[in-house]
Order: sequence, then C-alpha cells, then structure tokens
Amino acid sequence: MDLRAGDSWGMLACLCTVLWHLPAVPALNRTGDPGPGPSIQKTYDLTRYLEHQLRSLAGTYLNYLGPPFNEPDFNPPRLSAEALPSATVDFNVWRSLNDHLRLAQNYQAYSHLLCYLRGLDRHAATAELRRSLAHFCTSLQGLLGSIAGVMAALGYPLPPQGAEPSWAPRPPHSDFLQKMDDFWLLKELQTWLWRSAKDFNRLKKKMQPSAAAVTLRLEAAASDL
Amino acid sequence: MATPVLWACFVVLAAGVVAYAQRHSQQDTHVLYERLGSDVTLPCGTAAWDTAVTWRVNGTDLEAAHLNGSQLVLEGLDLSHSGHYACYQGSSWHLRYQALLHVGMPPREPVLTCRSNSYPKGFYCSWHLPAPTFIPNTFNVTVLHGSRLLGCEKDPAPKNRCHIRYTHLFSTVKYKVTLTVTNALGHNSTAITFDEFTIVKPDPPENVVARPVPSSPRRLEVTWQTPSSWPDPESFPLKFFLRYRPLILDQWQHVELSDGTTHTITDAYAGKEYIIQVAAKDNEIGTWSDWSVAAHATPWTEEPRYLTTEAQAPETTTTTTTSFVPPPTTKICDPGEVGDGVGSPTGLLLTVTVTVTVTVTTIAATGLFI
Repeated sequence: MDLRAGDSWGMLACLCTVLWHLPAVPALNRTGDPGPGPSIQKTYDLTRYLEHQLRSLAGTYLNYLGPPFNEPDFNPPRLSAEALPSATVDFNVWRSLNDHLRLAQNYQAYSHLLCYLRGLDRHAATAELRRSLAHFCTSLQGLLGSIAGVMAALGYPLPPQGAEPSWAPRPPHSDFLQKMDDFWLLKELQTWLWRSAKDFNRLKKKMQPSAAAVTLRLEAAASDL
Repeated sequence: MATPVLWACFVVLAAGVVAYAQRHSQQDTHVLYERLGSDVTLPCGTAAWDTAVTWRVNGTDLEAAHLNGSQLVLEGLDLSHSGHYACYQGSSWHLRYQALLHVGMPPREPVLTCRSNSYPKGFYCSWHLPAPTFIPNTFNVTVLHGSRLLGCEKDPAPKNRCHIRYTHLFSTVKYKVTLTVTNALGHNSTAITFDEFTIVKPDPPENVVARPVPSSPRRLEVTWQTPSSWPDPESFPLKFFLRYRPLILDQWQHVELSDGTTHTITDAYAGKEYIIQVAAKDNEIGTWSDWSVAAHATPWTEEPRYLTTEAQAPETTTTTTTSFVPPPTTKICDPGEVGDGVGSPTGLLLTVTVTVTVTVTTIAATGLFI
C-alpha cells in the first residue's frame, strides 16, 4: 500500500515537472492534480479484495444450501433471475463503452446486488454465515462509495437511486426456487467482480499517462533548455 | 419385319447385362471391420459349403487348415490379419468373393480439454484417444452455452482441434462441450463443463532475451514479449512470473511482475551462466502459461588488466573463468619458440598467464610492435 502511495506522489511530481517545462501538454487538463487515477486504483484493488472474500463466502453459503448447489458441475438453466443486473455484454459493446457509462453500469449493478444480498442476510441460518454476509455487505458498500468517488472526480452524476429492485422479497415460494435465486445472486456477484476488474483496468489505462510517455516529455523538455 | 430381330437383340443384351452384374456383384470388394481378438468367418460368396475353393490373403495362398468347407475361419484376430482376402472356385480360378479386412477396436472414452489462449476472442478444444483404434475415426464436437448451440470450427491441421468464438463476455452461464468419436466398431463420448474464466491460459511469453549489463557484474537484463496469440494486451493485460537460476544450482529464484516486459536481475552470482524463463497470466483470471523457452546469459565481468600483451597470445574469447589453470605449453622452457623477436623472459612469463585469461586484444598487441 505504501508503494502505491509513493507511485501516485511520483506521478504528481512528474506531472508538475512536465507542466513547468511544457505548458502546452494536451492530455493533462488537471493542473497539479493527480486526477482520479489513485482512486481508480483503489477501486480496482477493492474489487480484487471483494472477489477474494466472495470466494470463501460463496463456498460456505453454497454448502449451507446443500447439493446440488455446491457441486462444481452444477449448471442449471436461468429461469427467474432476469431481474438481476447481468454482467454479460457483447465484446464490442463493452469495449466501446464510454467512461461514464462504464462507471454507471458498475455502480447500478452493485447497488442492486447489495440490496439483494441484504435480503439474503435475513434468512441465512447460522450466526457465522450472517457475520460473513454482513462483512461482505460492508465491503460492497465500500466499493460503491469508491465508484461514486471516481464518478464525482470525473464530474459524472450518480445514477438515480430511486428505483427499488422489482425482485424484492418474494411471496413465499418453493424453498428450492429460493435457493436457486440465491445461487444466481452469488454467481452474478462473482461475474460482476471479474468484469469490474477489467473495467477499472481499462479506466486506469485511460486516466494515467504511462510513465514512459511522461519521461519522454521530460527528456524533450530538458534538451530544449 | 425387323421387330422380332430387334426384340431378340434386346433379350440377349438384357441377359448379358444381368449376367455381367451378377458376376461383378460377386466380385465387389467387401469392406469389413472386425474387432481385435474376435473370430470371423468369411463366406466364399454364394458358393456352396462343399465347393472346392482356394483362399488368398494379399495374393498369397492360405492353407486348408483355416477352412470350414468353403468358408474361411479366422480366430483370435490380430492386426496382422488385416488385408485383402479373395476366394477362388475350382480350377478355373473363378473369383467368387473378395474383401478388405480391417482389424481394430471400438473407441475408448476420448480425452477432451478446452483452453482460451486468446481471451476474449475465443477458445479452442482439443482431444485425443487414450488408445489407438487402428481404423478410421470421426469426431463430432458440440458446444452448448446455456440453451444455445454454438459451432466449433474444425482446424484443418491438427485435425483434433476446433475453435469457438466468444459472442458474449462475462457470462454467468457455463459452456458444455461434448465430443463424440465414432468408428465402424462403436462409439464413445465425453463432455466437459466450465465457466468462461476458468479455461483462460495464455501461451508462454515470446522472444525471451537475457543480456549482461555493462559494468554490473551482478546484473542481468531480461526482456520478453507478450505472446502473439493474446489479442488485446491493452484491455486485458498480462502479468508475468520470472524464474532464474545459475546452471550449476537446482534452486530457482522467482519474481512476479505486474506489468512491463523487462526486468533486471540484481542478485546474480558474478561470472556464472544463468538460465531464465518467463510465464504469463491474465491479471485477474485463469491460470499461468507454460514456461517460455529458456534464455541463457552470464553477467558482465571485468577484463583483467595486463602490463604488456603478447602478439602470439591466442585469441580466446571465453567471457569468464573463475579458476585459472595454465595450459600445458612447452614455450616456457624454449625461448627460441617465441616468434618475432620479442622473446624476453618476462614476455614468456606473461604469455603463459595471458593465454589463460579473458579476451586478448591482439590488435593492441600488434599496435605495439608497429
């Protein structure tokens, strides 16, 4: 963590130096401000941490649900989980998403998923499991906050939060179907976390000019003097 | 008036055609596939059981011992039984039956693996049979993604591989790949189910080059390239794992690198030749690639300085030796052997030491004598 702080200060120093010698640098429109780079990095790190946390949480929860949910080959058809925000996207569409949309989709997905997760918490059996779920929800809340921070730094408005997910507490239906819903919720969470890592990687690359590019500019500046 | 003659002609022609067809149907080569270790009885076409016949295998006559009447009995088939069998009747050598026999096995359960070395473009599946069947096999692959059936494009070569393109990324639905292998003696199949992310395994990094760093006796600079099969390293960056050891030791040292395609080893043992390999992995998903082709390098060593150099000193360009062993030479005892008149005793002594050490600058030596 210290190393990363050092990196962002180093970046700040580079940027300031470049700005001193080359006033007409087109890509840098934030004077002396490290930009959203460090907070994108933090968001990226959070998704990785959450993915790690989810792995153990999902293992425990699926075991609690029992077979066939905890079987590795379990491959059910998706029936009623259409209301869940899906990470699945056509490659070209994903690639060409603008930054605002990319961030907004992540934000909306996790808001909904967090809400459903909290619903999960209510009927989870053991205290241990409830504790793990609560911890995960807190971390997920942190991720949401982090994404909101990035959006604010880039001047994007937060997506409207009003809409309550239509998939809220269901009328009592089959225990099995409820478990299926839980299964898909965890699956979708896992997939979103993988996708977010890729999303934030992409944003990271776009926000931060590469160190090499900055060095070249410094050398050019030095030779000009 | 010509009509009855015409009819007669037709009848004769028809009879001729039928006879010809009958004859040839008996002579059509039958193709038989039989299981290894089984027994088979070949009939001599439509010949009666008690007809005198001669059987031939690949043109060679068979002894009567294998015969059951006019039928050929082969017991406990092995691969050597494969071949061309023909049955001739009587002294006229009328060919009554011929067959090509192929001895083989029904297929065992095939081994199927799928891998994505070109994420997010697609993945490929490859397969092989655990045991040979000795007869031709056909393979059929089906890919199911949820309820959608996808096509798997077969590779022209190698034949046991096919490619699937990802249409959507970040899918929660698993892929199920089923392979069916069929031959004349039976069929078998296998299926594997997996998530999009779990089969990601890049190819090893390419062009791994290690170079010594001038004036740094404990450093080696390693560079490599991302595998060319990885389509989009910008959006899907790779991280790398480097391992290195001196050739004389078995223990590897490891470095994990989150980005960049160069690394400088700073703790190399001076003067020792190193072996270096690199592996790659997507930053977040999948597994590590196989190790790359190894690069060899020895760190830079300082050239020993001499007071004088001998023109006759051999141009050894070995970069390092840590133990110095004077080569056997008769020159020590024979001043006359030393060439072009610079045969001073000190020169001779230096000749001995010079032949053993690092790059000798003979150019500089000749410069001295001009």
